[in-house]
Amino acid sequence: MKGYYGVYGGQFVAETLIHALDELEEAFAKFKRDKSAKGELDDLLKNYAGRPTPLYYAKNLSRYLGCDVYLKREDLLHSGAHKLNNTLGQAILTKFMEKRRIIAETGAGQHGVATATAAALLGIECIVYMGKIDAERQRPNLLRMKLLGADVRIVEKGSMTLKSAINEALRDWVKNVQATHYILGSVVGPHPFPEIVAYFQSIIGREAKRQILKQAGKLPDCVIACVGGGSNAIGIFKGFLKDNVELIGVEAGGESLELGKHSATLAMGRPGILHGSLSYLLQDDCGQVAKVHSISAGLDYPGIGPEHSYLKDTGRVKYGVCFDSEALDGFKILSKLEGIIPALESAHAVGYVLKKRDYFKGKMIVINVSGRGDKDLGIIESMEENGV
Amino acid sequence: MCKIGIYLVCDYPDRDRFLKAVKLCERFGVDFLEIGIPFSDPTADGDVIEMASLQVLTREDMNDFHEALETVREIYSKRLYVMTYANVVYANGIEDFAKKFSFVDGVILADVPFKESKRFKGVFGRYDIGFVNFVTPETDLNALKKIKTFANDFIYFVSIRGTTGGEFNLDSGAINRLERLKEGKQDVIVGFGIRTKNDIEKACKYADGVVIGTEAIKSLTLSRLEDFLRNVIS
Repeated sequence: MKGYYGVYGGQFVAETLIHALDELEEAFAKFKRDKSAKGELDDLLKNYAGRPTPLYYAKNLSRYLGCDVYLKREDLLHSGAHKLNNTLGQAILTKFMEKRRIIAETGAGQHGVATATAAALLGIECIVYMGKIDAERQRPNLLRMKLLGADVRIVEKGSMTLKSAINEALRDWVKNVQATHYILGSVVGPHPFPEIVAYFQSIIGREAKRQILKQAGKLPDCVIACVGGGSNAIGIFKGFLKDNVELIGVEAGGESLELGKHSATLAMGRPGILHGSLSYLLQDDCGQVAKVHSISAGLDYPGIGPEHSYLKDTGRVKYGVCFDSEALDGFKILSKLEGIIPALESAHAVGYVLKKRDYFKGKMIVINVSGRGDKDLGIIESMEENGV
Repeated sequence: MCKIGIYLVCDYPDRDRFLKAVKLCERFGVDFLEIGIPFSDPTADGDVIEMASLQVLTREDMNDFHEALETVREIYSKRLYVMTYANVVYANGIEDFAKKFSFVDGVILADVPFKESKRFKGVFGRYDIGFVNFVTPETDLNALKKIKTFANDFIYFVSIRGTTGGEFNLDSGAINRLERLKEGKQDVIVGFGIRTKNDIEKACKYADGVVIGTEAIKSLTLSRLEDFLRNVIS
């Protein structure tokens, strides 16, 4: 069915938004066929954002783990994470639709910064919703967004994290839908958002596949990426879905797998409806959305993109869990051994490999380093002060 | 005749005052009631209803709401609707929800547009529960025809862009669509932003009735629901 991945997906939004979603779907179809819009995006990705990002053979980490580790360096993309692939694409799409105002939600601030960056570049008004807790724990990104000219609106309702930011962005969109485009930052939300974001992020996987074939002469055994909403994971997985390559998504295990203390939606959730789509969801017995936790603001979300739910059910992608403390191990090891400070989100993928090092022994693997960790230094500092 | 419906958040501000509010609605001859079952992430609602919902959720769950609604059914004689969000119905199976609430006349799900309504409507239909579809000032005219044909309860006309509690207004897109819905078999009820008698008169030029939510909740919070009802109904 259109807009569905198996049984997951759909358009569970207020009727008021249906017209805008129809319009977006139509514009996106036209955009994909439009040579000049595509040309503009390709040029910006190359000359402004810095694509292709390197695929780097991590010699020291490989030696340490006893396997061949390649890192896809999305942390080197302009503005510090893979998010810009999507925001540049959708910002051009916004102009294509002749809309003058962009709104976005952000958790870790990476999508907010990437949206503010694209909006500054293309001269579009930009409003970013960010939960109060996230604004405090990811303060460097808050300051960056403001410098880039975005109007950052702090959300002091609900969980005050990514989920609340999406709630407020949706409310803004319902009210201002005629002149506003909502740039969703992950492969979540109502159709066609999961498809659009995956389309713009799939460049990661296309590049990685070309690069690994060139460098190693063969496909990797495994590709590993962290999963919150799931955009960097879908982006890199898309390059290998049809190949005989094991794909592993790593969810945030938080402090423990007790409900309320983690964000491991696929591991512990069941199908539900939130923010426009039917997908796995962390919820209580009555269907109220559960509280979640992760040390990483970008993974601290009770839902997940519908395509991931589908990939889990079909078994094509395996999903694992990395706890806060294990992610910190990954964060530190990658910094020390390779001189690469990853975002706490990406550190979950590294931490998972460390934890399962026996499983990966002798294999060739690609880890998607979805973002860089400058924004997380405050969190690391306070954890060390508290003796964690 | 212009029908007037009132929306109340289940068990807000507490069970006692909520049931008293229902009794007032019965006494004033309110034509239908919509009782909101609170959801943790009510994205279609403005601040007033969101705050009320979250307050109730800190102390109550589905069993409480079910119990409260059964009592409402005993004391309120006209049409009774449950209004909530998709996941509240979906979480334990639509069938299970329908069985549990088979005593209500209809269900309204704020985040289920016509496109996604089939799976819900089908199940509710078997329990003789109506399913309310929405139309907005921007609803595609072909879709509007379908909605009109397949409606099995009233059509909820969302008069404004935005969440509940915004300013009431009917623009040309709204009036155009309301006129197309006029000769349909189902009532057309205007909601979102209705506050005053004046709003009601304006809406009822084109529709069969209105539903008032945010203003009712506000007056209930201030213990002034009786005055409010007297004012809009008389």
